[in-house]
Amino acid sequence: MVIKDWIGNRYLKSEKNAFWEALVITILVFLIGLIIGFFLESLNQKNIEQYYIESEVQLLDLNMQQDLLFLNEIDCVKAIERNINFGDKIYEEALLLQKLEDSETLSEGLKVQHKKYDLLRTLFWINSIKIRQSCPDQFHTVVYVYEYEPDLNGEAVQTAFSRYLSDLKNAEGDRMVLIPIAGNMNLFSIKNMLQDYGIDKFPTIIVDEQYKITKIEDLDIVKELVEEKIVSDSFDSGKNSTKTQK
Amino acid sequence: MPSFTTLTYLVLMFIALYFFFFYIVLIIRNKHRIFYYPKYKKLFSLTILIPAHNEEKTIQGTIEAIFNTDYPGLKEVIVINDGSTDNTLKMIKEIMGKYENLKLINKKNTGKADSLNQGIKIATGELIGVVDADSYPYPDAIRKIIGFFNDEKMGAVTSTVFVRNKDTFLSKIQAIEYAILAWTRKILSFVDAVYVTNGPLSIYRKSALIEVGGFDRNTVTEDIDVTWNMLRHGYHTNMCLDSFVTTSVPLKVKDWWRQRERWGIGGIQALIKYRKSFLKHGMLGMFIIPFVSITIVLSMFVFLFSIYIILKKIMLFFFSTQYSLLAKTYIFNTKDMNLHPSILIFFMLVLFITAFVYSRYILIILGKKKGEWEDLRNIFKRMFYLLVYLTIYPLVWFSSIYRLIKKDFRW
Repeated sequence: MVIKDWIGNRYLKSEKNAFWEALVITILVFLIGLIIGFFLESLNQKNIEQYYIESEVQLLDLNMQQDLLFLNEIDCVKAIERNINFGDKIYEEALLLQKLEDSETLSEGLKVQHKKYDLLRTLFWINSIKIRQSCPDQFHTVVYVYEYEPDLNGEAVQTAFSRYLSDLKNAEGDRMVLIPIAGNMNLFSIKNMLQDYGIDKFPTIIVDEQYKITKIEDLDIVKELVEEKIVSDSFDSGKNSTKTQK
Repeated sequence: MPSFTTLTYLVLMFIALYFFFFYIVLIIRNKHRIFYYPKYKKLFSLTILIPAHNEEKTIQGTIEAIFNTDYPGLKEVIVINDGSTDNTLKMIKEIMGKYENLKLINKKNTGKADSLNQGIKIATGELIGVVDADSYPYPDAIRKIIGFFNDEKMGAVTSTVFVRNKDTFLSKIQAIEYAILAWTRKILSFVDAVYVTNGPLSIYRKSALIEVGGFDRNTVTEDIDVTWNMLRHGYHTNMCLDSFVTTSVPLKVKDWWRQRERWGIGGIQALIKYRKSFLKHGMLGMFIIPFVSITIVLSMFVFLFSIYIILKKIMLFFFSTQYSLLAKTYIFNTKDMNLHPSILIFFMLVLFITAFVYSRYILIILGKKKGEWEDLRNIFKRMFYLLVYLTIYPLVWFSSIYRLIKKDFRW
């Protein structure tokens, strides 16, 4: 009887160890979960990194072609075709990156990738400007400058802008290159470039480095510019959109 | 640094995982003791109290079920008619001739706690059982409980409540809920943390009841209050999972809501009343008060957090649709769908699956024991219970707090 009571008391006391045991197991499982989470995220980042490296190499190649264009007068059509294909590729990669970022993430790794891509896309924009200068009137550059991590209303506006531009790209195909760039990533070169173009709010669309559209009601102007229904000389910049400072 | 949403998810998941593993550890350590009940070493004399207010349909069944139990120490049954306005009194009188140790207290409506206190005054048993007037104990239910009182510090022991009137979808969901609650209560008993001795069938040591001052008339759930009071006075509480009682539950949402509000208010009243016991008085302050507080706060927080996430999505959808229409572009494209699940979704899936398996395990064991597994196995009902019932339950807490603040105790 006494022994039984003693065992009973000891048993109850040892039951209270369940609190600690459960805590240890939870911490272990949680840590394993976090490690798996970081591992899965790093896999995603590696994929993006791989795409990025390929894109970087392609951009270098495009730059080389651009330089050759000046030296040997190579075929504009081919240069433009490659430029547009590259634009399409990094646009698709931008969409993929966006989706990965929209999932709740544990690390900041994707944000760094985003910055690298923004720089790459800016370089691509510069390359496109150069090609347009050497081979004028062959294609249009549509640069979509958006805000990274906007507020709710900003996100809704940017969703509409993205949808419109995605639609337009599907319709126009090779007549335009679509270059999305996050404007608020604290990157010095992008900041400077946006300052040069007088961009102080997001989202803004820059068409052919001449026109910027900021209002949702004016999105059709982008289409008209790409479809050349509005020619530069006749376009009334004061009404709906403004000519850029450059 | 992860976002606020991510951090919140992680903290909530950690807490949920902790309680899940806590139960699992206790189950593993006590798997042979879950249905255990000690044999009584002494024939304790027992008085059963049945407080009744407008229970004409069930009162006779309850009295008969009690007299059909097999505990030889049952000394008397006292029915307290708490100012019923229906035929309850008539039904009691009809059956009185049948049982000589059936007594009646007929009084004005002063509430259940007061009814029980009046019963205690005239009760002669060493132990006092409380049975709701709509509950039917199984024949062996009382006998299985009595042995727990071999321990002199045992103040109260409660039973497993099953739903009798599974006539509507709501009552079938409650049947699942009651089974899971009973199981959970039993698991908590292994750390001396039974936090409520339910109304359908609980037995108390009379001397302990008198020592703690009986049932508190100023709370709306006297069963929670008396349990916490006993724990504060150093008594143990326990649960006999093998002691079954059936009860009737609300069939309509309105009645269910009212009952749950009452429970909610009672729980919060107990937290306020015993707040000074926080981290004191054994498991009451070290576990029960923090556990109940965390449960209430977290369930409300999770609800609000979910509403925030859902509203944000809805607003985003609404605004982006509006802007998309303005921009004359599409409002939905399959390309917009995000098929990249994050680790957080993975965590949530793991939690849901474990909760689903855990609930199935409980229902199999209890259902088979009672021979009702077929009723409880329905997957849809269990999904509904886990995904809908538990999700909207925090609304009861909000309403209870509102009524408590307004001091609106009309039922």
